[in-house]
Amino acid sequence: ALSELHFNMLHIDGLGRTKEDLLTYEIADVFRAKSLIDVMKKSHEARQKLLRLGIFRKVEVLIDTSRGEGALPNGLDVTFEVTELRRLTGSYNTMVGNNEGSMVLGLKLPNALGRAEKLTFQFSYGTKETSYGLSFFKPQPGNFEPFPSICTNQTLKWEGVWRELGCLARTPSFAIRKESGHTLKSSLSHAMVIDTRNSSILPRRGGLLRIHQELAGFTGGDVSFLKEDFEIQLNKSLFWDSVLSASLWSGLVLPIGDKPTSIADRFYLGGPTSIRGFSMYSVGPQSEGDYLGGEAYWAGGLHLYTPLPFRPAKGGFGDLFRTHFFLNAGNLCNLNYGEGPKAHLKKLAECVRWSYGLGVLLRLGNIARLELNYCIPMGVQSGDRICDGVQFGAGIRFL
Amino acid sequence: MNVCVFIPTAAEPWPENATLYQPLKEDQILLSDCASSLAVQAYLRMCGLPVQVVCRANAEYMSPSGKIPFIHVGNQVVSELGPIVQFTKAKGHSLSDGLDDVQRAEMKAYMELVNNMLLTAELFIQWCDDATAAEISRPRYSSPYSWPLNNILAYQKQWEVRRKMNAIGWGGKTLEQVYEDVSQCCQALSQRLGTQPYFFSKQPTELDALVFGHLFTIITTRLTSGELAERIKGFSNLLSFCRRIEQTYFEDKTKNTKLSKFV
Repeated sequence: ALSELHFNMLHIDGLGRTKEDLLTYEIADVFRAKSLIDVMKKSHEARQKLLRLGIFRKVEVLIDTSRGEGALPNGLDVTFEVTELRRLTGSYNTMVGNNEGSMVLGLKLPNALGRAEKLTFQFSYGTKETSYGLSFFKPQPGNFEPFPSICTNQTLKWEGVWRELGCLARTPSFAIRKESGHTLKSSLSHAMVIDTRNSSILPRRGGLLRIHQELAGFTGGDVSFLKEDFEIQLNKSLFWDSVLSASLWSGLVLPIGDKPTSIADRFYLGGPTSIRGFSMYSVGPQSEGDYLGGEAYWAGGLHLYTPLPFRPAKGGFGDLFRTHFFLNAGNLCNLNYGEGPKAHLKKLAECVRWSYGLGVLLRLGNIARLELNYCIPMGVQSGDRICDGVQFGAGIRFL
Repeated sequence: MNVCVFIPTAAEPWPENATLYQPLKEDQILLSDCASSLAVQAYLRMCGLPVQVVCRANAEYMSPSGKIPFIHVGNQVVSELGPIVQFTKAKGHSLSDGLDDVQRAEMKAYMELVNNMLLTAELFIQWCDDATAAEISRPRYSSPYSWPLNNILAYQKQWEVRRKMNAIGWGGKTLEQVYEDVSQCCQALSQRLGTQPYFFSKQPTELDALVFGHLFTIITTRLTSGELAERIKGFSNLLSFCRRIEQTYFEDKTKNTKLSKFV
């Protein structure tokens, strides 16, 4: 008798501005349950999915036998009791980044139009950069058929950014001076992420594929470009608790129309989170010591992570540390159109910068890591600034 | 016998590719910036120093002092007439070497007058007169940018200029009063000039360049009201002064700004 179930009712209580059709997708699976255990399992999964939307403060599931008029024998009533987040939330943070500190004020509408759209406004005031940002984020139900069991995530985003560039030094190079002033970027971007790693900071297995494109200029604004970048990372556990990790980053920005790309939209290479052994963003085209960035780049890294030698404090604090041996390589260049893609690929393959070394890592929670490395930079081109020897790095995304 | 020869310090010679930067000529530049730029161009031509004029929408932000025009010579960047005169002097070019101390003090005083009166009047008319601001200044200033940045930048500039006008006591003035001030300034200049070809007799100085820059631009620029130009045209010796400098130093300039068209 328990194996034969009928659904009587499925309620969702507590909806205010959230549209029902958004939720029916997330909880559709519950209807496919065949037994009570299945119902409980699928309800739990549905609850997780609803929480992941980021629009509910609390989601509770209540499963009860059907009662009242029209109740079927072996009928079940499943009720999702949700508490929506406040319509408008504010936040205040301080941030410390690469040699810069800033204060960030944010305003967020977590469920702007009822389908989990996020509208955020952010104002950041820092020692080096002051910025205002408005972003609109609409999630798509990740119905990516070819990989039903893999965690995929697609986002579509519109961004409006008012940038003011000014010279911080008293005598910057003229190439930098030419970029001063105001620009408005209005862009649409799409990102697809497939992440099968067990952790984002020091994964032991799995891979990451992230493909991102951004089209600016077709929804207004002063800058027009098409930007593509992708990131791939593969991890494999080896003997003795060590992990072999390989990563590849690449990107391209194509200006549309006759205006050249702005320095704010180009790619930069070098630094403790990128090609180690080189100073921050200090690789590639430059003018009088000021780096101008490039329109195309690639960077790759190969790491062997091992636990600390002799495994001190094993099982406790010592597990947060790792040693690693790394090999980084990459290149950055500008695109001189009319020469064709073959010539650009050739340019990216010439004069490759690379470095190798070893170091110690510390994991901070599941978000960031600190590194202290001894680096030996190679393939240094004239104009690059290197940081050979000991280099310290802190960040959330490392090559 | 000993011969003592004075060799000037080895300053870099004036390069061929010296460039002067100003906002876009057709759509963006305003009266006050155009006048300042023309004054510098006239000065450099009087010194015989070649310079190429390049128009960029972000010229104001590129300038180290935020003011137009600025010149890029070798790897140095200098903005505004005063510093540019000092800069050329350091390179061995000067127009006021022949003046004695009294004359030099007088020249400085008249240059101050032009800056405090004419330039301020230009800024006032551009940004504090609602009609001019709405019809000419804001649309032109914001033309290189897209919405909504264009409106934000134009209003920001307007507020900044109005604040400055209030700070120097011009906030309460009416347009009529400003025209009167301009007339008085021109009166003083006209009297000093008299029947001489230039302010200091035979040779032009930076004062001549500055006065020419402002007067010529005012006469040849169409504003919402032609009153300002009319006031200046009332001084015939100033008009012939402008024509003389135009013919002597700007023969290669395009025909449609020739002074004869407006007189």
